[in-house]
Amino acid sequence: MTAPLLSIHDLEVSYGAVQVLFGVNLEVHAGEIVSIIGPNGAGKSTVIKAVIGLVEVQRGSVEFDGRDITNLPAHVIPSLGVTYVPQGRIVFAQMTVTDNLEMGAFLQHDSRKRREAVDSVFEQFPRLYERRSQPAGKLSGGEQQMLAIGRALMLNPRLVILDEPSLGLSPKYVDLIFEHLLTLKSQGRTLLMVEQNAARALELSDRGYALELGYNRFVDTGKKLLANDDVRRMYLGGA
Amino acid sequence: MIERVCAPDHILCAWGLTREFGGVQALRGVDLHVARGTITGLIGPNGSGKTTLFQVISGMDRGATGTISFDSESILGWRPSEIYRRGLARTFQLSRVFPELTVLENLVVAGHRRDRSAAERALGLLERVHLREYAAVLGKNLSYGQQKLVEFLRVLMSDPALILLDEPAAGVNPTLRQTLWEMVRHLNGLGTTFLVIEHNMEVIADLCSDVYVLSDGEIIAQGDFASIRNNERVLEAYFGKSRKHGAA
Amino acid sequence: MFNGLRRLNGRWVGAVLVTFVLLAPLVINDYHQSFLLQVFMVIALAQAWNLISGMTGYVSFGHAAFFGVGAYAGALFLTWGFPWWLAVIKGAGIAALLAVPLGFLTLRLRGPYFAIAMLGLNEVGRIVATLWVNVTHGGSGLTLSPELLPSLDVKYFTMFGLALAATLLVAWVHRSRFGLELRAIREDEEAAEMVGVNTTRDKVIAFVLSAVIPGAVGAVYVMYTSYLNPASAFDNARNIEMIVVVLFGGSGTVWGPILGAGTVMILRELLWAQFPSAHLAALGVLLLVVVLYLPGGLISILRVRQQKRPDARPGESP
Repeated sequence: MTAPLLSIHDLEVSYGAVQVLFGVNLEVHAGEIVSIIGPNGAGKSTVIKAVIGLVEVQRGSVEFDGRDITNLPAHVIPSLGVTYVPQGRIVFAQMTVTDNLEMGAFLQHDSRKRREAVDSVFEQFPRLYERRSQPAGKLSGGEQQMLAIGRALMLNPRLVILDEPSLGLSPKYVDLIFEHLLTLKSQGRTLLMVEQNAARALELSDRGYALELGYNRFVDTGKKLLANDDVRRMYLGGA
Repeated sequence: MIERVCAPDHILCAWGLTREFGGVQALRGVDLHVARGTITGLIGPNGSGKTTLFQVISGMDRGATGTISFDSESILGWRPSEIYRRGLARTFQLSRVFPELTVLENLVVAGHRRDRSAAERALGLLERVHLREYAAVLGKNLSYGQQKLVEFLRVLMSDPALILLDEPAAGVNPTLRQTLWEMVRHLNGLGTTFLVIEHNMEVIADLCSDVYVLSDGEIIAQGDFASIRNNERVLEAYFGKSRKHGAA
Repeated sequence: MFNGLRRLNGRWVGAVLVTFVLLAPLVINDYHQSFLLQVFMVIALAQAWNLISGMTGYVSFGHAAFFGVGAYAGALFLTWGFPWWLAVIKGAGIAALLAVPLGFLTLRLRGPYFAIAMLGLNEVGRIVATLWVNVTHGGSGLTLSPELLPSLDVKYFTMFGLALAATLLVAWVHRSRFGLELRAIREDEEAAEMVGVNTTRDKVIAFVLSAVIPGAVGAVYVMYTSYLNPASAFDNARNIEMIVVVLFGGSGTVWGPILGAGTVMILRELLWAQFPSAHLAALGVLLLVVVLYLPGGLISILRVRQQKRPDARPGESP
């Protein structure tokens, strides 16, 4: 079996005096879609923030492509091939769609390559092309999410990490966004996401990790987790 | 129009609470009845509207339509300080202790204006949670857990009949958390009604005799926790619904 | 040395200062008496600003507006035949009356918006004074004939009385339940509302109180200078002076504005009285000093350090 693209070992993270992760383990292989699910307070977002350097890791390690990236400063991470789509569709509302995308490629100094990247995002998201000169603040929620994802693609990353991509979106847009994620996978990208909507996320995922209160509870293929009743009951403190 | 009457054994009744923010419906016709002397739970996935509901009931959000009856008075449209004076208090998810006021001042300001013994009462409350020696400490110099505890004590100063607790234990260490829940139980024993937003299901199961489940702005279930926990609609609200499965 | 200063009882210091002020006219000349009069004026204005801005957190950039209103009102009542003290009272009264509706309007605004709205009010005052020529003589200004004016001693003691009253007001508010509510509003207005503080009522009361004093001060001032025009009545420099004096001395405290006023006025006398245009620049420098080195103002040097938390008890996280 090939080595995983991303691996997290025995991760422990605390916010000040409050410990949130108590030794979480996780692997993502190239070309997979992996989801992290779990009830509130499970620490799902914290795992992701630890990978991209937004929180400090007290114990344990994060490895990407064979290299230890634990506690590297956040601004270094994109240059390694890992980009992040934050929770809540953070876009620069006053800037146009095109400018927002360009912001995603600020590390790319070659302007021709930048334009190519913008073009390829527009190809993938024709909706964004239509709105390319509009200020991002005027887009609908779903379109903004597409923009956030597009921006994360600008550096041609190997691993895209998404924090709650379906949050606050209407069902129609949830469908659309998840279709796009499948397309990304077919292009050979690897996705790691945290999702509230566990059912839809697991449908889409090759594998999933269910966390509870900072611990690994369940790990299995997406299908099996979906069928596992205990996983559902975990949300309400059962099982 | 059917006259809506809140039964005398219900301290809080809400009918048809609706709140829209720029096209998004945060609350869609919420009906809620909290029985006197209970600890009632309010649960639901993120973004379901729980905090919005608290904002509306406590008067901080004056943009909702519907009816709210507290202790037989219609309070929709009242300003928050009036609602507080009437006996309905509320805590915040993130501590809002007054940073440049001392702990004692934090408590006294929440007491009745003409209450000459407010300081004494405040010290008594602090005594109960072993924080009496912090009376002269500025709010900003407390640990986060202590701040949340002080915030909780603050709303006790006016002896409210109903307290809305918004994740009171979030970010608090286990020892202080214990203290907090013990106080809630104790006060409930003395007659104070609580409506609690909590994510910790153990606490809900342990403490609450009645639970409301809010999802996407609507109440989708109500009852004791045991029945809630097995409710298909509730499980779906938390877990999501896959498209491949048919109706459960 | 500072230990000794810390134990200074405010009341004794106050008593000493008051005695000095009362006896001073017997020994000092007119020039120095005028200087002290101006110090009292700055103290009174500073305490008024302190009330709404330092204590309640609504930072006003235009409180000179009430000064200007009081000055014009006072001058007019004087020329209409009222005795000087009644003119002062009426001047203050007009300022307070205006403050009520203005307060309800402006206090809806938060932070920078309130500050700028107040600045705007000051400008409106100046424009009205300039255009309402029938009443105010517009840009040419009002001159008061000397026989209407009280003596320097009377003005000296009146201004002192206003400075004293303003300080006592701030002291009382500071210790009172009302003051506690104001400070809670300053800290977190929404949370204050949530624990039963009627923030609207409290804010408006503080605003009106902070307008009455400048109104009275303005009226006495015009009797001191015997001349008034829109520029001097609604002088932006006065706005800035109020702010810097309080911040430099110690915002939100009782003695801060007094320390600040005394220091600024003495520095002015010693350093730049000969160059009036340097006054604003000097205030700017003082402001920089406050921001960079003395955020709590002069008084923070003299104050006992605020208590840190007691050590954590076992079983509790620190």
